[in-house]
Amino acid sequence: MVRFENVHMSYGEHAVLKGIDLHIEPGQLAVLIGPSGCGKTTTLQLINRLITPTEGKIFVNGRDISTVDPVELRRGIGYVIQEIGLFPHMTVKQNIEIVPKLLGWDEQKRSARSKELLKLVGMEERYLDVYPAKLSGGQQQRIGLLRALAVEPPIVLMDEPFGALDPITRESLQDEIMTLNKKLHKTVIFVTHDMDEALKIADVIILMKDGNIVQAATPKELLSHPANEFVESFIGKQRQAVGKLDTVREVMSARVVCAPDDTSVVEAVDLMRRQRVPSVFVLNKEGGFDGQISIKDIQSFSCTGDEMISRLANKQIPTVHPEGSASEAFKIMMQENIDELPVVDGDRVVGIVTRRSMVTSLAKVVWQGEAHE
Amino acid sequence: MSSFFAVAVKNQELILSSLSRHLLICALSLALGIIAAVPAGIFLTYRKKTAKAVLAVLGVINTIPSIVLLGVAMMIFGLGVYPAIAVLFLYSLLPIVRGTYTGILDIDPKYLKAARGMGMNRLQILRVVQLPLAMPAIVTGIRLSAIYVISWATLAAFIGGGGLGDVIWMGLQSYNFRLVIWGALPATLLAFLVSWLLNRVIRLTQKHISREVAQ
Repeated sequence: MVRFENVHMSYGEHAVLKGIDLHIEPGQLAVLIGPSGCGKTTTLQLINRLITPTEGKIFVNGRDISTVDPVELRRGIGYVIQEIGLFPHMTVKQNIEIVPKLLGWDEQKRSARSKELLKLVGMEERYLDVYPAKLSGGQQQRIGLLRALAVEPPIVLMDEPFGALDPITRESLQDEIMTLNKKLHKTVIFVTHDMDEALKIADVIILMKDGNIVQAATPKELLSHPANEFVESFIGKQRQAVGKLDTVREVMSARVVCAPDDTSVVEAVDLMRRQRVPSVFVLNKEGGFDGQISIKDIQSFSCTGDEMISRLANKQIPTVHPEGSASEAFKIMMQENIDELPVVDGDRVVGIVTRRSMVTSLAKVVWQGEAHE
Repeated sequence: MSSFFAVAVKNQELILSSLSRHLLICALSLALGIIAAVPAGIFLTYRKKTAKAVLAVLGVINTIPSIVLLGVAMMIFGLGVYPAIAVLFLYSLLPIVRGTYTGILDIDPKYLKAARGMGMNRLQILRVVQLPLAMPAIVTGIRLSAIYVISWATLAAFIGGGGLGDVIWMGLQSYNFRLVIWGALPATLLAFLVSWLLNRVIRLTQKHISREVAQ
């Protein structure tokens, strides 16, 4: 579908690509990846002739693209960019229908197509008349994708399309692009610098460095047979980022419930019930950490309802620092047989380690994001 | 006070005909200015080196006192309405050319990347992307020109161009300062009105664009 033959690209003295040979099969989801400056975006932009190689030949669909009119070429190739670039003065409908309109489709056909496309990414028809500024980042990029798919190009180029999105939105868009790739049989060429993204979505990963292709292989092959140390370290560095659970911060929950020390017992119980927590942290006048009071404490003490919680608070409870060792925190919880460990920085409460928060963090590492809270 | 209005009533024919002449001169020179300056501004975005020179020359023209330029125009075109329009046309160019030029160049490159990537040719990019996104800047330039032209058109009377300058001129010659005000006031109000109207247009053109910028 897309073939590079000894492609060189340089700007003056500076060589960006040093002889790229590449073959991407129809229907493949190929991911170009590598450190910044490796030439992955350049490689992508050569395919729709946004830039022209200094040397070498590129074939799309068997045709040498230097002989094809760039405007005609680009209409057969969808293009999605990180900055999205939806035109702000046009509605979603107008944005999606730009290329169909340029190709002279009538209103009926265009309209049917944009409705069909919205359905493809699970968005309702009412979004058709909305302006891009009213959409969330994830919705905008979905529309960016639909705009690229409008005239059913067999090839779609995606230049770090999900780089600017939050992790949850990114995950769901990755799932969508994989489904679309299988369902619509598009050849997708995808640039990213995120190895996890590549391993998740790619049929073939093309790892680049300094203008050369270091290895082109399936994710499985890449993991089991890295071509050299660079590949190994590039995978390793990226994988470690997910796999490490060194500090307390990574296993704690930032959701803490606090009460000032002049709160009455009745109020504290009410607060716990409303927040669905078994305990609250007690704060002194300056807002500093001053112990913890749990529902168990209240039950075991004989006290009246309007007594202040400051007297009942357990001030001897062990605490940990957010940058402290996670395994140490785990040990404390086991040894002291406590369910909750306040995370305190200076005298401020910044989080809480619970058995639940610990297990959730561990599960994420073990099953790599498949576990949901 | 009553004599103030009496002057207007007495000279109403003069004031009204001068006002309509004023409007005509301004509208014509501004229309010519837009027709010449918008395409020029667009053209210059493809020739950035030429742009610097052109904007500098137009800048110099705008610093020449209008009375001098009127004199020069009179020598070339003679007396009457044409030299006045010619001079006002020249003055109107700079803000519109500059507004168009910078308006187009200030567009976030991501829109052009997207437009090029989806296979638009240069003309389509201009029509579908660049002009709509530069419209607020272009209209801002037009508004600036309109204000200049309306106020400087009062000087057209000096070379026989007519307009509200006639009323002012006549008032000065006959020491009738109320008449002077009846020439100056409509010109001022006209400038305010046009400025207000064009501001509304600017707000309309940037309706969805600025919301994007605000994000």
